Amino acid sequence: MSQYSQNPYYPNGGAGGGGGYMTGGSPYGSTSGSPGGFANRGSAAQSLRPVTVKQLFNATQAHTDAEWHIDDIEVGQISLVAQVMSIQAQTTNCVYWLDDGTGRIEARHWVDSSTMQEDGVDPNGIKEHDYIRVMGNLKTFGNKRYVNATHLRVCSDPYEPYFHTLDVCATKLILERGPPNKQGERVAQGTTQAGGISAYQNQTHAATSDQYSHLPPLERAICVFLLEQPPNDEGIHVGNIARAVQGSPNDISAALDKLLDDGHIYTTLDESHYALSV
Amino acid sequence: MAEHRSPRVNSARLANFVGQTVRITCKVRKFMNHQAIVECSDGGEVTINMSPAADISDPFIEVIGKVLDSTTIQMMAAINLGNDFDMKIVDFVIEKWHSQQFSSVF
Repeated sequence: MSQYSQNPYYPNGGAGGGGGYMTGGSPYGSTSGSPGGFANRGSAAQSLRPVTVKQLFNATQAHTDAEWHIDDIEVGQISLVAQVMSIQAQTTNCVYWLDDGTGRIEARHWVDSSTMQEDGVDPNGIKEHDYIRVMGNLKTFGNKRYVNATHLRVCSDPYEPYFHTLDVCATKLILERGPPNKQGERVAQGTTQAGGISAYQNQTHAATSDQYSHLPPLERAICVFLLEQPPNDEGIHVGNIARAVQGSPNDISAALDKLLDDGHIYTTLDESHYALSV
Repeated sequence: MAEHRSPRVNSARLANFVGQTVRITCKVRKFMNHQAIVECSDGGEVTINMSPAADISDPFIEVIGKVLDSTTIQMMAAINLGNDFDMKIVDFVIEKWHSQQFSSVF
């Protein structure tokens, strides 16, 4: 790989094997501007992201065949809730002029000629002024952007546009900040007085899977601590657990009993040694 | 695209959008001739100059229209939303819509 490390088109090229994501068809990598982000993953092409029309018009593309990016994050499929301003049924496709309050865009739905109904009847049961949900891909034709719609349906629930608005907000925040930590955030706040431990725990929260995120903070802290320990048939003594997590002896004892009852941990040598059942 | 923007607003934000198209989600208080008095999601009252084509059957409606002044809207279209609608959610959505944090989205 070393001969590529000087090549400006391969910003990650030197990181042995990192080039594996760059398929032969896309030599420009398309995401050179976003180091270490969510970008540069082909799997994004299969994801479904809720968006607004304004985001679609602000989306960028490195070249005409490249993936679309919103805020430097690759988008594949998109989901949009908007009001239908007009419908133009044609022999092979149906064009919906959509307005979601942030802008207007066309959605083009290609219709299988065998399912096309007689004139005037929309194959999806959509009427003008309905709110609809559209799933599909962003495309360009000439200078015009449109959504190549794969699925369309009427929003039967009047709250759906409001849900979609908040869904767009939540998705934007998750992409910026990572997924919410649920109960784990409270653990981190509760242990800030022990600087070293909390700094360490924050790391492990990010590293470990979220399989314990549904537990109360103390039980979660115990599980995270046990997970960090080197594998050991004898288990971990309760004294070591108590030193690692913050809390009164009674609370820790109750938390251990609860974890034991739920099957998250088991006793090993005796009643005071515990190991994680993974 | 700016000409097709129609932000969701409540009565307090109406004054910032005079001359523009907006969407308000509201409850109909009463009809008078060609006007309707409606209550917005923040509780403020707004006068709607009705469009003759409007087909309003529900107490809760979404009105798309042009803002004439800070308390009057010329209706272009209306959507029926049913008999019961949670205005707190609507107001929450409106505040997110206009917050600086999401200015790149809405």
